[in-house]
Amino acid sequence: MSSEGAVVHIIDDDEALRESLAFLLSTAQIAVRSHISAAAFLEQLQDTNLGCVITDVRMPGLSGIDLLKRLRERKIGVPVIVITGHGDVPLAVEAMKSGAVDFLEKPFDDEVLLASVQSALQEHEGQSKRLIERAVIEDRLAALSKRERDVLSGLIAGRANKQIAFDLGISPRTVEIYRANLMEKMRASSLSDLVRMALIAEILGSG
Amino acid sequence: MMEAFKELQANPQAGLKSAAKAADRKTPGWRDIAWRYGLALFAIVVALAARTALESVLRGEASYLFYMPAILIASAIGGWGPGLLTTALGLSLGLFFVADIRTLTAADYVDAAVFALVSVGILWRGELLRRFRGAAISSAEDAETRAAHLKSILDSIPDAMIVIDDRGMMRSFSAAAERLFGYSAADVLGKNVKMLMPQPYRDAHDDYLNRYLRTGDRRIIGIGRVVVGQRQDGSTFPIELAVGEVNVHHQRHFTGFIRDLTERQQTEARLQELQSELVHISRLTAMGEMASALAHELNQPLSAIANYVKGSRRVLDGRNDDSLTPLRDALDKAGEQALRAGQIIRRLRDFVARGESERRVENVRKLIEEASALALVGAKDTGVRVRFDFAPGADLILADKVQIQQVLLNLMRNAIEAMEISPTRDLVIATALADNNMIEIRVTDTGSGIAPEIAGQLFQPFVTTKRHGMGVGLSISRTIIEAHGGTITVGANPGGGTIFILTLPAVAQEETSHVL
Repeated sequence: MSSEGAVVHIIDDDEALRESLAFLLSTAQIAVRSHISAAAFLEQLQDTNLGCVITDVRMPGLSGIDLLKRLRERKIGVPVIVITGHGDVPLAVEAMKSGAVDFLEKPFDDEVLLASVQSALQEHEGQSKRLIERAVIEDRLAALSKRERDVLSGLIAGRANKQIAFDLGISPRTVEIYRANLMEKMRASSLSDLVRMALIAEILGSG
Repeated sequence: MMEAFKELQANPQAGLKSAAKAADRKTPGWRDIAWRYGLALFAIVVALAARTALESVLRGEASYLFYMPAILIASAIGGWGPGLLTTALGLSLGLFFVADIRTLTAADYVDAAVFALVSVGILWRGELLRRFRGAAISSAEDAETRAAHLKSILDSIPDAMIVIDDRGMMRSFSAAAERLFGYSAADVLGKNVKMLMPQPYRDAHDDYLNRYLRTGDRRIIGIGRVVVGQRQDGSTFPIELAVGEVNVHHQRHFTGFIRDLTERQQTEARLQELQSELVHISRLTAMGEMASALAHELNQPLSAIANYVKGSRRVLDGRNDDSLTPLRDALDKAGEQALRAGQIIRRLRDFVARGESERRVENVRKLIEEASALALVGAKDTGVRVRFDFAPGADLILADKVQIQQVLLNLMRNAIEAMEISPTRDLVIATALADNNMIEIRVTDTGSGIAPEIAGQLFQPFVTTKRHGMGVGLSISRTIIEAHGGTITVGANPGGGTIFILTLPAVAQEETSHVL
């Protein structure tokens, strides 16, 4: 494995979550270190082997988003996966725009998490995996009708159905139908999954 | 009164006309004077012509008699002045003609004096006659003015006014009534007022009227009530009707004042809607806080469970031992359930926080079958017979599957619980197409039923019939169903037990972009 020696750093204020996550990753033969807070992680930054970071968003002290900003300031290019119990859209957008490589809602499927960690650790391979994922997402995006696209932009902007309906001058029920249809076409399991996909396509597309 | 004043300003002809007439009477113009004196002279000339024509017969007799009618006419129409003029002329002409024939005697002078006296009497009566005529004209004009004034007031009040006689025939139909019903007064006057009512009132109205005339029993007169009116185009609308009774010259009339309630009812409906929205929001807020706190607290341990279970499953993956297969399956399922629990919480939280949830176009039949598979775990052991009755055509709904399944699961579990001690244990889940493009789902049991005193508040939070229940299940169910644009109601099963009825908006196949 090209990731040999690389360590995944778990940052969460909840002990049970840290331990369970460490257990899960260890079953996939991934080396793990746990940190009780973002500040504690930043203190040990020098003498540590940085593979990737899995961090909670809402924590006492520094939040996951704050951590992303600090890492960027210090020009530390470690991939960061953000996990959260509050999967709201604006938060996901902010995390992705602050440089997170992925955004997952708790509780998450082990396959999804491990795939995300693997691709973060194996950067080159990860990059090509990402490119494939982006291509798939873009194919799905291309299948959307104009109205479905409009509704998608509204959802990514964190707007409620009613607001989108008002902006587009159509009924909330019609928005719901478009939304249901576009979720189906995008094969999104949830709203945050949809946002994640849209952001991957958009961010990779523009960068 | 302001309205009436405005109306007068807007339509001032009636007022101006009568004012002009009044001015005529007070300061007579030269035309009037010329006309009155001209008439006097004309009358004298006619009388003189008649007298002269008959001179061969009369031969100097009845010199003055012919001037009497002239004096009467002149004084009655022209008043004192023309009257005196005719008298003076008549007297002079009379004397002149007598003097022409013979020498005037004492008798002739007496004759002239009597004529003068009688003339004065005529003048006096004529003046009285003239005044009386003037008063009659003036009172007729006053009446006209008052009627115009009253009409302008009635025309300007927003309430419509209709007067009917004791046979129900319309005698008056105000401008507002014309606007309200779409008929012109000319269309309806003399016709039966029942034409303004929809059935069954249309046929019943004559009887109402007759009953009142017979018994004097007041159902609406002086009381007022809300009834339904029908416009010319056939549409009906709510009205508030107040009826008064008038007796004039032994003729009974009924006056109806009618106010259009359409707007008020719309306002009230909107108010009610807002209120129920408020109740809904406060219910949501309380639940939202709970759900949000729950989500936060539960997601952490749920994630931990999922991680441990999935990790354990991976550990087992490395072993080639067939005896571990059931364990692998169990861990797989445990992990899935932990994720499902997380999904339920996430959706509940999203939904109470944003009032919307992840809705897809779902097949009702599939949704029910899946939910019942979960609900009926172990139900066969309790002897519950389950029957599905899916109506063709009631297929697709736009719904958050997890939430609707939770509601159904909840209802079915309740039903099974309620039938624990019943002799017959039948659970029927039926679908049907309902009005307003809705799909109806009925969950019917033959259980113990619901006490009437609790049925009304069954959907309130913390109301329960169970000894160990929290009483939030149905409250949440209702919130979920209402957020989907549907309703949930409860009723008694005629055969004993309970029926819960859900309605959810249907989706047409052509609205979806994919095939289910």
